[in-house]
Amino acid sequence: MSIEGTAILVIFVAVLTAFTLIVRHLYRVMMKGKPEDRFSRWPDRVKSVLVFVFGQARVLAQPAGIGHFIIFWGFIFITLGTLENILSMIIPAFSYSRFIGADAAGIIVLLQDVFGILVIGDIIVSLVRRFFFKPLRLESDDPKTTEEAVFILALIFVLILLMYGMRGTGILLEPNRYSRLYAPFSFYASNIISHWNINMHLANRIFTWCHHLIIFFFLLYIPFSKHIHILGAIPNVFFRNLGPMGTLSRMDFEDEDAEKFGVSKLTDFTWKQILDLYACTECGRCQAACPAYLTEKPLSPYRMIHHLRGELMSERKMILADGETPDIVPDTVTEDEIWSCTTCGACMQECPPFIEHVQKIVDMRRYLVLTESRFPQEMQPVFRNMEVNYNPWAFGYASRADWLDGLDVPLASDKKRFDVLYWVGCVGSFDSRGQKIARAMIELLKKSGVDFAVLGVEERCCGETARRMGNEYLAQMLIEGNIDTLKKYQFNRILTTCPHGLNTFKVEYPQFGYEKPVVHHTQFLLELVREGRLKVKGELGHDWTYHDSCYLGRYNSIMDEPREVLALVHGRDGKEFERNRKRSFCCGAGGGRMWMEENTGTKISEARLREFVEIGSDHLYTACPFCMTMFEDAAKVMDREDIEVEDIAEALVKVT
Amino acid sequence: MKIITLLKRVPDTEARILINQEGTGIREDGLKYVINPYDEYAIEEGLKVREKVGGDSKVTVVTMGPEEATELIRTALAMGADDAVHIVDPLLENAGPFTSAAVLAKVIEEEGFDIIFCGKQAIDDDMAQVQTILAEMLDIPQVNVATEFELSDDGKKAVLSRRIEGGDEKYETALPAIISCEKGLNEPRYASLPGIMKAKKKEIRKKTLADLGFETKPQGGRAEIVRWLPLPKSGECKIVEAEELQDAVKELVRLLREESKVL
Ligand SMILES: Cc1cc2nc3c(=O)[nH]c(=O)nc-3n(C[C@H](O)[C@H](O)[C@H](O)COP(=O)(O)OP(=O)(O)OC[C@H]3O[C@@H](n4cnc5c(N)ncnc54)[C@H](O)[C@@H]3O)c2cc1C
Ligand code: SF4
Ligand code: SF4
Repeated sequence: MSIEGTAILVIFVAVLTAFTLIVRHLYRVMMKGKPEDRFSRWPDRVKSVLVFVFGQARVLAQPAGIGHFIIFWGFIFITLGTLENILSMIIPAFSYSRFIGADAAGIIVLLQDVFGILVIGDIIVSLVRRFFFKPLRLESDDPKTTEEAVFILALIFVLILLMYGMRGTGILLEPNRYSRLYAPFSFYASNIISHWNINMHLANRIFTWCHHLIIFFFLLYIPFSKHIHILGAIPNVFFRNLGPMGTLSRMDFEDEDAEKFGVSKLTDFTWKQILDLYACTECGRCQAACPAYLTEKPLSPYRMIHHLRGELMSERKMILADGETPDIVPDTVTEDEIWSCTTCGACMQECPPFIEHVQKIVDMRRYLVLTESRFPQEMQPVFRNMEVNYNPWAFGYASRADWLDGLDVPLASDKKRFDVLYWVGCVGSFDSRGQKIARAMIELLKKSGVDFAVLGVEERCCGETARRMGNEYLAQMLIEGNIDTLKKYQFNRILTTCPHGLNTFKVEYPQFGYEKPVVHHTQFLLELVREGRLKVKGELGHDWTYHDSCYLGRYNSIMDEPREVLALVHGRDGKEFERNRKRSFCCGAGGGRMWMEENTGTKISEARLREFVEIGSDHLYTACPFCMTMFEDAAKVMDREDIEVEDIAEALVKVT
Repeated sequence: MKIITLLKRVPDTEARILINQEGTGIREDGLKYVINPYDEYAIEEGLKVREKVGGDSKVTVVTMGPEEATELIRTALAMGADDAVHIVDPLLENAGPFTSAAVLAKVIEEEGFDIIFCGKQAIDDDMAQVQTILAEMLDIPQVNVATEFELSDDGKKAVLSRRIEGGDEKYETALPAIISCEKGLNEPRYASLPGIMKAKKKEIRKKTLADLGFETKPQGGRAEIVRWLPLPKSGECKIVEAEELQDAVKELVRLLREESKVL
């Protein structure tokens, strides 16, 4: 073997060994996390990787993603070329064409050649974008982020130039090495280089070695930079949550000697949550979609993940040694950040490597509420009321069914067997605006002759809010109480007007052993109309706009039904918000935010209502009592009480 | 330092209260009970004093009430109280303030005390008597309706404020003393989950009248509740509607004359 071959072999093996050790180290750090089961449904997991890693499906959801697509595939093809070159230095006659034939190998060469140029263009565009357009999603409080990004882009830029240098000089030294057809840009490079007055052989070796050394450097640098996502993202997509979005883990309170609940240290996270930290690409898409961030709250999901990763990287040795690490709450993620989240899920919807932000935030809330009993003061009465009177407000539980007076509504306790259980919910039962929606629902149910019943005073808060506020103990008390009641009756479906209740019954009650089909009233009403049980007699004929509630659209993919009902009511299609359907913008009420003060920045609900005003539509419709309350309040504050916000049921009742 | 905090089980502030048919008390079916809200301030203040003094200070909760009060005592223990005495005796049902105070005084003397915190009133029958009778029986000073409390460094005295119309009254009292607590004194804490778990193992000493050496229910109060009555029904509002104002006035006059007979 030549001296050069031996040298590259030694370095190559050394670098690969070091790289393997680093990866093993990161893996061991990750496995210090708590257990979590992500091992079911292998075919779906493989498919996820194909679609979202190799297909870059989420990355491409935004135009800037094309840039990443190019770099990703460019990286793959160019690395193949690098590997071939290194191997040929070690084993002289090595080449891919021997194994796959000249044409297939030629295509790889062509792809390398073309992607090289694309990557160069891409880097220029990226830099221009970062520095001249300053997109919102790249805003960061850590100057190192930009430095790193520029350093890496510059390095790739140099790598590509070296690649063309290598190939250009190669062609000059050995004209038959590539066919012109497969390496047009390399031939172009060789043309330029041929005018230089240099020793071609020496130049070729210098280009080659510089290129390979940079690649080796890259391999060792990646795990400690933001490009760690090259290692983290693929497994993270593989192990992604394949179930319903944002389902919270069930906590176990069996251990009576437990001193701690929730997450306050990195190692309280599960291994998958730690893998999430390795996977972040720092693209900032989550931040650009986050209602908290966009209304000047202290939270940015991107920043949170970035800071958690920073902490993980600086504590990783301590973690491996099972030593004492600092608290991440509130040192790395502040309490204000933790309480700012509406759990709207917009971040998770955008995130290309499927990082799960909401569970982390709720886990930290769980720590604050359950272990430390530390939370915004206004939450205490809410917890108390839920505990004592099973609703978030200070209403006696016995008055839960007062709104039914004079309506002649069947109670489950009288009927025992019926088709549909109408879950009225706390807002429907106590809030005067919510009661109007509930009355419209009752009217529609009666008109269409549905065999239904309500629970009346037996109904308790569904527990969704308490759960997302981090009070898992209270949530489980409510859930278990409700399950006991629900099990007493025989019925086929639960009908809710509240997306939060819907989501909780659908995906969270099963964690506690209760499964029952659930429908949202928008689905149910459309069903009644389609079956002819509800007759639409005429049209209102106004312009209308529908606001997708996070827990209905994003979480449960119920987006067409409400629109179809409204199209029937008005006899025309709606005027859409710019951010709609899965990309809708939160009203600000989720995650228990409805019961917390919103004193920082713009009110989320006002930001959204302003978007509505800009559309210039007559009617704003919601299908969530929380959204309704938020928009009505916002309209008052903005002195725009003329804006009429209505529920789908209220609209439909007018034309049936 | 031995800190006693009194806790009474009362119907929830939002509960719908109905008088029973015999007029001897309220209907208890479907009622939710809570810790008397003012007693929560007492518990919180007791805990704060213990935290300040440290050492082997102890907060003991004392409750006289039915068996079901146990659940609420556990809440106080979950907040951080060390142990509790629970006096349960059927004879004490609907006990008046004098009886309550006599029983509580006995327990408190047995337990020993440096300071007693209680609520300014129990929100069920709003008597606000127990603390005063108790102070007399124990022969110690009392400060009522406290909105500020500050223990001296040697633990022998306390400085207090009471919010009165247009200002604050400052007091200094020697200890032991009984302090009745008002809203604003502190923010009662929300029990943490480890606190709730620990509370399950804390001691609640149950006692009957006999255990305390009483042969019968202690009596001596001069006042007695004779009967409970519901609030008189507030009159119904009638809106007189008519096409013409004149007709409305006519109808109004007729109603005033014939129905309510005020004219
Ligand atoms: C429906 C009902 C049923 C009851 N049943 C029983 C029963 O079966 N057995 C029984 O023993 N008692 C029972 N009680 C409790 C007992 O009747 C009261 O303790 C007594 O009436 C004194 O209350 P008060 O309103 O005069 O207190 P107030 O003088 O208004 O109370 C002032 C403060 O004194 C303290 N205090 C008062 N009472 C107590 C107490 N009981 N324990 C600890 N601290 C106290 C509290 O700090 C309170 O804030 C019952 C009460 C009600 C409302
Ligand atoms: S769930 Fe919504 S509010 Fe919370 S971090 Fe994600 S985008 Fe922001
Ligand atoms: S968490 Fe996801 S969306 Fe946010 S910056 Fe990281 S990779 Fe991008």
